[in-house]
Amino acid sequence: MTPTAPDNHEKRPSYEPVTRLLQPIARDPHMRRPAATVAGAGLVLLSAIVGIASMADLATHWGSIADDLVLDLDAAELTPDIINASLAAVLAVVGVTVVIEMVCALLIFRGSNLARVAVMTVAVLSISTTFAGWWARDQEITLLTTLPVLALNILVLLALSSRSAAAYARRNEKR
Amino acid sequence: MSRARAPRRWSIGVAVDQFFFVFAGLAAIWLAYLGFTESLSIGWWGIAGFLVFWVLLAYLVLPRLHRILTTIYVPDYFIGRARTSDGLLGDPVNLAFLGDGDQIESAMRAAGWTKADPVTLATSVRIVTSTLRRRSYHEAPVSPLFLFGRQQDFAYQQEVDGNPAQRHHVRFWKCPDGWLLPGGRRVDWLAAGTFDTSVGLSLFTLQVTHRIDADTDVERDHIVSTLRTGEVAVRVDVIADFSTGYHARNGGGDSIRTDGDLPVVDVRAVTT
Repeated sequence: MTPTAPDNHEKRPSYEPVTRLLQPIARDPHMRRPAATVAGAGLVLLSAIVGIASMADLATHWGSIADDLVLDLDAAELTPDIINASLAAVLAVVGVTVVIEMVCALLIFRGSNLARVAVMTVAVLSISTTFAGWWARDQEITLLTTLPVLALNILVLLALSSRSAAAYARRNEKR
Repeated sequence: MSRARAPRRWSIGVAVDQFFFVFAGLAAIWLAYLGFTESLSIGWWGIAGFLVFWVLLAYLVLPRLHRILTTIYVPDYFIGRARTSDGLLGDPVNLAFLGDGDQIESAMRAAGWTKADPVTLATSVRIVTSTLRRRSYHEAPVSPLFLFGRQQDFAYQQEVDGNPAQRHHVRFWKCPDGWLLPGGRRVDWLAAGTFDTSVGLSLFTLQVTHRIDADTDVERDHIVSTLRTGEVAVRVDVIADFSTGYHARNGGGDSIRTDGDLPVVDVRAVTT
């Protein structure tokens, strides 16, 4: 038995080029949904649920929160009209965020790359802001303040940036 | 060949993915640090905090760090070792096969081996329940190891008398077309056979894994002898000193040693 070397064999260079790391992922439309994608979508859904819980919390305690804000800002006296209007505005903003998060969770679960990159970009911005405040201005991060939200953001980023989640989101891309 | 038809060598989307991959790794280190310092400040609940810290470290932070670092320092070509999903060096490749996949599977079945189920949610749940109830699970899945950048094509195993912590197992990879072993010999399949001795903590990732028997030659010779007795059409040829005897650690931090011989099992005469 004699080994036959193929003559069209391309020789490897003696170094590994950096672009090797940036090679497009192989196209695989029949790929099974990986656990990382399910976990990522689930965590985004969880942050939407946390958003709903915070809406309920804001609505019940809005009076005292508004009073604190007024003291901080040295603003004028609050009338019930202003309190209700400001509550509605804040709830509307949080509500829109919650809806967007829910839509993104669904799209990520179905394998949308755009939704995945968008959610990761927001997570990176949020984490960077928290890190800057913690590093430069010594803002405390504890279990009762920002740690749960920060942890959720980092876990979302870890899940969605994993190789398998990326491959699933790009399974239909042509090389 | 026109330029337009050549496959793209790199993509911006993948570059963006690599950025998120590394950023998430760094953010996870920070999260582990925050979790650790927070555990110290919450009294008895800190014990639960440390458990969360370990899970975070072992299953998210260290794998991501190893994935980033091994991309840089572990060569991406054949060096006689499989790699774990984190990119660490795994079990030694200690068997080669000539023939097609069906013939190998037929010979393995005749030699008294059982095919491992693929890793899915259902089979993972079954591993846990069979371990808790002390039932045997002959087709228990094996963890994925990578060769040629691919997970094993299939794996076979033999359970040791109802003990879920111990088993013989061997993973198979099909060689790429036209691929030759170092030294120029052509084989169709490569395999890595090791013996799980117990369950323990991995040295590098702190995860719960199987520890393997250090003397991988015993397992290699066990596989070859079962194949020889199980199927008369099997021929075996040994490439002596294929990888010169070496001492090393696998991805779980277990030491391994071998005399470096590579048996080439010829199953081309096996009828399926």
